[in-house]
Amino acid sequence: MKNKIAVQVDDLTVAYNYKPVLWDIDLEIPEGVLMAIVGPNGAGKSTLIKSILGILKPIAGSVAIYGKPYDKQRSLVAYVPQKGSVDWDFPTTALDVVMMGTYGSLGWIKRPGQKEKKAALEALEKVGMLSFKNRQISQLSGGQQQRIFLARALVQNASIYFMDEPFQGVDATTEIAIINILKELRKAGKTVIVVHHDLQTVPEYFDWVTFLNVKKIATGPVKDIFNDDNLTKTYGINYKVVVSD
Amino acid sequence: MSSAQLEIQLIASLVAIACAIPGTFLVLRKMAMISDAISHSILPGIVIGFFITQDLNSPVLILLAALTGIITVVLVEYIQKTGLVKEDTAIGLVFPALFSIGVILIAKNANDIHLDVDAVLLGELAFAPFDRLLVSGVDLGPKSLWIIGTILLITITLLIAFFKELKVSTFDAGLASALGFSPMVIHYGLMTVSSVTTVGAFDAVGAILVVALMIAPAASAYLITNNLKRMLAYAICFGVISAVSGYWLAHWLDASIAGSITSVLGILFLTIYLFAPNKGIIAILYREKQQRTEVSLLTFLLHLKNHTDETERHVNHLNEHINWQKVRSKTVLDLALKNNMIRIENKIVSLTEKGNDFTTQAIDYIITNEDSQIEGMKDDFFLFRG
Repeated sequence: MKNKIAVQVDDLTVAYNYKPVLWDIDLEIPEGVLMAIVGPNGAGKSTLIKSILGILKPIAGSVAIYGKPYDKQRSLVAYVPQKGSVDWDFPTTALDVVMMGTYGSLGWIKRPGQKEKKAALEALEKVGMLSFKNRQISQLSGGQQQRIFLARALVQNASIYFMDEPFQGVDATTEIAIINILKELRKAGKTVIVVHHDLQTVPEYFDWVTFLNVKKIATGPVKDIFNDDNLTKTYGINYKVVVSD
Repeated sequence: MSSAQLEIQLIASLVAIACAIPGTFLVLRKMAMISDAISHSILPGIVIGFFITQDLNSPVLILLAALTGIITVVLVEYIQKTGLVKEDTAIGLVFPALFSIGVILIAKNANDIHLDVDAVLLGELAFAPFDRLLVSGVDLGPKSLWIIGTILLITITLLIAFFKELKVSTFDAGLASALGFSPMVIHYGLMTVSSVTTVGAFDAVGAILVVALMIAPAASAYLITNNLKRMLAYAICFGVISAVSGYWLAHWLDASIAGSITSVLGILFLTIYLFAPNKGIIAILYREKQQRTEVSLLTFLLHLKNHTDETERHVNHLNEHINWQKVRSKTVLDLALKNNMIRIENKIVSLTEKGNDFTTQAIDYIITNEDSQIEGMKDDFFLFRG
């Protein structure tokens, strides 16, 4: 049913200090899916996203976004890093962080103006954070910070969204609010790729899944491949024990 | 005030502004120590540059010395990347090595050049007005003023042009990279500006004061604002205030100008550290005391809510029961009364409607941890201000 390929990864190998953390990954992500990347700690989930976005340089392999290198397709892609990757004591406001999402389309030197501000306010509205726009970012709760990050990605108005553990350290209400926005994005034909930790919620939240543990174990529709067999291959023999915990 | 005095203050102020701008970003990037490293390890660059140009104010010398600054940064990053030592150790390894090369070079050639280690460490601002820039016999003012003025102009131009890039790459390097603003380019751009500024300021104020002027104003500004532009503005103000008042302190004490400016910076930081409205030590202690009282208040209200039995709510009983000192019980009781949360009839305490609502809301918040429920309460109570 889906044939256009949004993201294509070929033979991707990434190493830190000559130790491969991703080994020979081939991956095709069809347009319009809401996909989870699952795997144990150290499986290379964040590394995969960062390599696709050119933040890390792979030692081998290539990545294509709608058939072209990432450099040429930046405007089609939005990225939500892990919440813990930034210093929330940075002297700035929620609105200003969301405005950063517009910097990509502005390019070097040009400054954001009224149009960008309006887009940022709309994005804040969408994630239910408009009343917090002037709040200093360290004064926000973990869930609110995650919503700000999501708003910053929404303001980019991209076709493909990469999110690194957006549910980490957020309360249940925020988790539901976020997943609803992601589902809306998919409904609008966008492709959403999420590094995800909670295996229980995979079938409920996502329609596509990739199992990763240094190598790619499997990728495809959740209903076809989200099973004990793949989970065991990815997480090792103790998978069932892990889940019952 | 003589024109020499005015010139010294002007030079010191321009140096302070030129240092505060990169300093603000170094502080936000938690790279304060790298400025210390740069300020020391440019010494061999200055000495070698001096051998070549025979002029302490030559642009070639400045560029050569700035290059040594960049080499320092590259070496520190290289050593750090091996994973064998941490960043602070790498800094501690690199700059003494480079600095000592400079010291030896000076010592070996001490007879030939007018550079000595004292002047390098502390600078000699008092002599700056003697070295004039003469163009076909016309006196255009002290050379130092022109050098630092030019550097400041370049710094301000770069800051205005790349403010957004600096901000995003400092806050979130990953996003900056994904958006196409290479954090690497911005990082080395900032390092170059820091190095050039350090060299330009070095002759006037010396290696130690350069670090103080980069870090102390920015660190002070960080404590009193939550806005990057304001942080830059405050850092610049603090730098200039310290430069001018430091000069007059030195004048009055008949002491080193560089030393006096640095002392003023230290005192300024200490004052802000103690008295800053939100992040200052006194504000923090006050807030903690308030929070303790408010937790007590909540405990007390909850006790009243949970016990309908009158003996449990008798004033004297409350004293023993919650196990607080008399003074504390009285504070809490007064606070509750003042906010109309309780009423006392015949020494029996009971919750008012307001007190009841407040307790329910507060408990809801503590259980669900949902911020939306308590937005209205935040203004009245410290406890809920995160």
